[in-house]
Amino acid sequence: MSDQTLTVATTTPWASARSRLAGLGAEARAAARDPAFLAVGILLTGLVLVFTVLPIGTVLIRSLQPKEGMFTWENFLEFFSRRAYYRALINSLILSTASMVLVTTTGFVMAYLCTRGPRVLRGPLTFISLLPFVAPPFAFSVALIILGGRRGFVTQLLGLNVSIYGWPGVLLVQVVSFLPIAFLLIENVLVSLDPSLEDAADDLGARPERILRTVTIPLAWPGTLKAALLVFILAIADFGNPMIIGGGMSLLATDAYSLAVGEQNLRMASVLSVFLVIPSLFLFVIHRYLLRETRVTTITGNLASSQSRRSSPIILIPMLAVAAVVGLVILALFGVIFVGAFTEAIGVRNRFTLAHFVSQFGLQYLWTSIKMALSAGLLAAVGGIVLAYILERKRIPGRGAVEFLALLGLSVPGTVLGLGYLLAFHNPPLALTGTLLIMVLNTGFRELPAAMEAGMSKLRQLDVALEEASADLGVGPVGTFLKVVIPNIGSAFMAGLIYAFMTGMITVSAIAFLVSPGANLASIYILQLAEMGYLGEGCAVSVMLILIVFICVVGLKWIARRTGFDIIRGR
Amino acid sequence: MGDTVLELVDVTKRFGAVAAVAGASGAVHGGELVTFLGPSGCGKTTLLRLVGGFLEADGGSILLEGKPLHGVPPHRRDTAMVFQNYALFPHLSVADNVAYGLKARRLPRGEITARVEELLKTVQLEGFGERRPHQLSGGQQQRVALARALSIQPKVLLLDEPLSNLDAALRVAMRAEIRRLQTALHLTVILVTHDQEEAISMSDRIAIMRHGRFEQVGSPLDVYESPATEFVATFIGRVNLIPGRLSPGPEPSHATFDTWFGTLTLRAPASPLGGSSNSSEVRAVIRPERVLLALPREPLPRNTFRGEVAESTYTGQVVRYTVLLQGKPLRVDAWDPVRVGRFPEGSAVAVQFPEALHLLPAEG
Ligand SMILES: Nc1ncnc2c1ncn2[C@@H]1O[C@H](COP(=O)(O)OP(=O)(O)O)[C@@H](O)[C@H]1O
Ligand SMILES: [Mg+2]
Repeated sequence: MSDQTLTVATTTPWASARSRLAGLGAEARAAARDPAFLAVGILLTGLVLVFTVLPIGTVLIRSLQPKEGMFTWENFLEFFSRRAYYRALINSLILSTASMVLVTTTGFVMAYLCTRGPRVLRGPLTFISLLPFVAPPFAFSVALIILGGRRGFVTQLLGLNVSIYGWPGVLLVQVVSFLPIAFLLIENVLVSLDPSLEDAADDLGARPERILRTVTIPLAWPGTLKAALLVFILAIADFGNPMIIGGGMSLLATDAYSLAVGEQNLRMASVLSVFLVIPSLFLFVIHRYLLRETRVTTITGNLASSQSRRSSPIILIPMLAVAAVVGLVILALFGVIFVGAFTEAIGVRNRFTLAHFVSQFGLQYLWTSIKMALSAGLLAAVGGIVLAYILERKRIPGRGAVEFLALLGLSVPGTVLGLGYLLAFHNPPLALTGTLLIMVLNTGFRELPAAMEAGMSKLRQLDVALEEASADLGVGPVGTFLKVVIPNIGSAFMAGLIYAFMTGMITVSAIAFLVSPGANLASIYILQLAEMGYLGEGCAVSVMLILIVFICVVGLKWIARRTGFDIIRGR
Repeated sequence: MGDTVLELVDVTKRFGAVAAVAGASGAVHGGELVTFLGPSGCGKTTLLRLVGGFLEADGGSILLEGKPLHGVPPHRRDTAMVFQNYALFPHLSVADNVAYGLKARRLPRGEITARVEELLKTVQLEGFGERRPHQLSGGQQQRVALARALSIQPKVLLLDEPLSNLDAALRVAMRAEIRRLQTALHLTVILVTHDQEEAISMSDRIAIMRHGRFEQVGSPLDVYESPATEFVATFIGRVNLIPGRLSPGPEPSHATFDTWFGTLTLRAPASPLGGSSNSSEVRAVIRPERVLLALPREPLPRNTFRGEVAESTYTGQVVRYTVLLQGKPLRVDAWDPVRVGRFPEGSAVAVQFPEALHLLPAEG
């Protein structure tokens, strides 16, 4: 009793530091009692270090080496002295900012309409906003060329002389491609925003646009900002769309690729990559660590009386006009992909054909893609879930750092990881370039964070008492993991697997550096077809990818409905 | 009591197949506090939201000072609502919450500041203006919500279960507080609640709701002492409903009431006989505290019967008995057990009924 009093009385900073050290010791001791998981944890951390951190590090180091063995800023000086290089940085920043503003605005409009708009339109508008999610992003570029390219359908119909290549095309396609993610994040926050707040503003005499300005937007701001940052990261990392429809415009991701693969200038490609990494990581850290909670919590919780709101026509009519344009563009692009896949040459020879589907390479590469994405998905799901369990449940020191390193695979643009793999795994001891394995590893470790996050969020909802009960009944840590944890977070595992597979099927940015004629993928093949002008076959391969992704999304929806776990919405 | 401020004429609102409000009619006068009281799901909130303009009625009309409100959106109605969850803007300070409606009306800045200060003083929150809502206790949040609603000087103040989020002690204190504000500022208030004690202690008049209609509208005394229907009688307070036959008595000023345990002599009741000389089947509404218990003494006085205590529960304030009269139970509440003495279970008692009873027509 008196001991206790004494301890409390002498809690000085020194004592608290000592007790924190003791705490760390206790964590380490607890981990040591669990040797199997400690070993697996160290192994997984090692793999993350080799296959995520090492490639990025190699790119950074390479950017500082004008020649082997030298370390100077010389490459960066060269970058800033030549307009051809730094213009890519400026263009990328402008493009990503513009894309961010456009996508976030569109996403807000669609989400607003789907939560406060006319009830009959909510379903269709949600569907349209999410539709682009199932297509490989660059498929829209192919469609846009068919519509508005030099010999495009609409171009010839209207006798237009404006070029869709370059800024307008890339921006348009990015708006369509990134709309779903912005929509989901903003809709999430608008749904959780208690409608009685807007009712209260209305009641106090605020007119509709005032309510929007003083209540809805300020309260939806955290989620909207999150969406904006994410779109910026996606836009600056976007590779497929600028490749197809950029018309040679200078951008960091595409220039890094041409420098590395076309000119074998790995040095300057690395410098450009550094400029890709810096903003991405910066925004990622803000996004993840500084904007923690996006849900608006109501002050006192009884939502029983609040009812879903319908906004007024003054707000809805302009928004509906925007939605109509966006919706028509999305449907038109989708339509063109499907029509193009079954037409000999759209606008030129409008005859039905199945020839685009039975081309020799298309199916072969699709099969390679499936093998690659499935292996990568398994790697991501197994690694991600186990890592999630260790990070979330085993009090291992330094787990925050391990989590951050694993997340790099998600936050660093694919172009950088592609270049990193090319640099790091070209020579022994890990000479992997040109193999299918390198693509599996690359995609697997880029998708691992998604599965890991899924596992962690599921684990946070799982009562630790279940595991304690299992241990209490005499089952060891590994047995508990297999018999109690896995059955309960199986939905996160399946969702992680399907999600990683799906993303692996349509990824291009990193993989573009790693494909070889012997090991080509369907998604890259679309890029190559578009470059050669074989748009019909590009559409056909896109349709096959869309179908596969669509099936995956249906599977994920099914999991979400059965288990309440929705990996796409992240909750 | 002032003139009619708000009038409801046969108001109806359906949600799909559910008629949430099904023909509610009534009036609210200036300066009075009217309570919509009823069980959960009877349409109270829906009716209040119809008055506030958050919902549009399917049928009937709502008139504010004689002008129909149909099609008038909330921001152009002279009503103000205190929401059940207060709906305080979490991103604004207390003062900015209260100023919100004044800014929307583009009042000069100096005037807004002065009015906000005055309002915060009215609800006893001086000096809290700079805080954020989440830094306040539940009771303080409630006061902010009140001040914010009062800021726009509404013709009718609407309160949706305003006390349901507070703990028991605070709830009782806030009842008095709201009542004090209402009388001091001569406010016209509609309050929604499912808590009968709240309704009885705060209201000028109570409108008992059932299935989207007003079952009875009257003063607290009226609805408690003279419930119009069995539903009202059983919803407000505990009650004995005693079936029997009412006949004209030997003297014209009295009637006789035959029940299963004997015959009561009543002072001639107005309803439901309506002066008819025939006898009729009725039910007497007898509150447990109106019945007196005593030790049986021969001869038994008028309207007094022998019974046996089957059950007794001491609640501190009152002893709740179940007394068997000819084998059938009757609820009796006896106050002040220290002075009267407490009857043990199984003991014989004399049960005395009052001469004036409120009567309802028989079932069916
Ligand atoms: N927005 C709505 N959609 C469908 N039914 C509703 C809606 N609001 C209320 N209801 C239904 O209307 C009836 C009355 O509800 P309400 O007015 O909230 O009752 P109270 O406030 O008396 O508890 C209930 O049956 C309720 O389920
Ligand atoms: Mg209610």
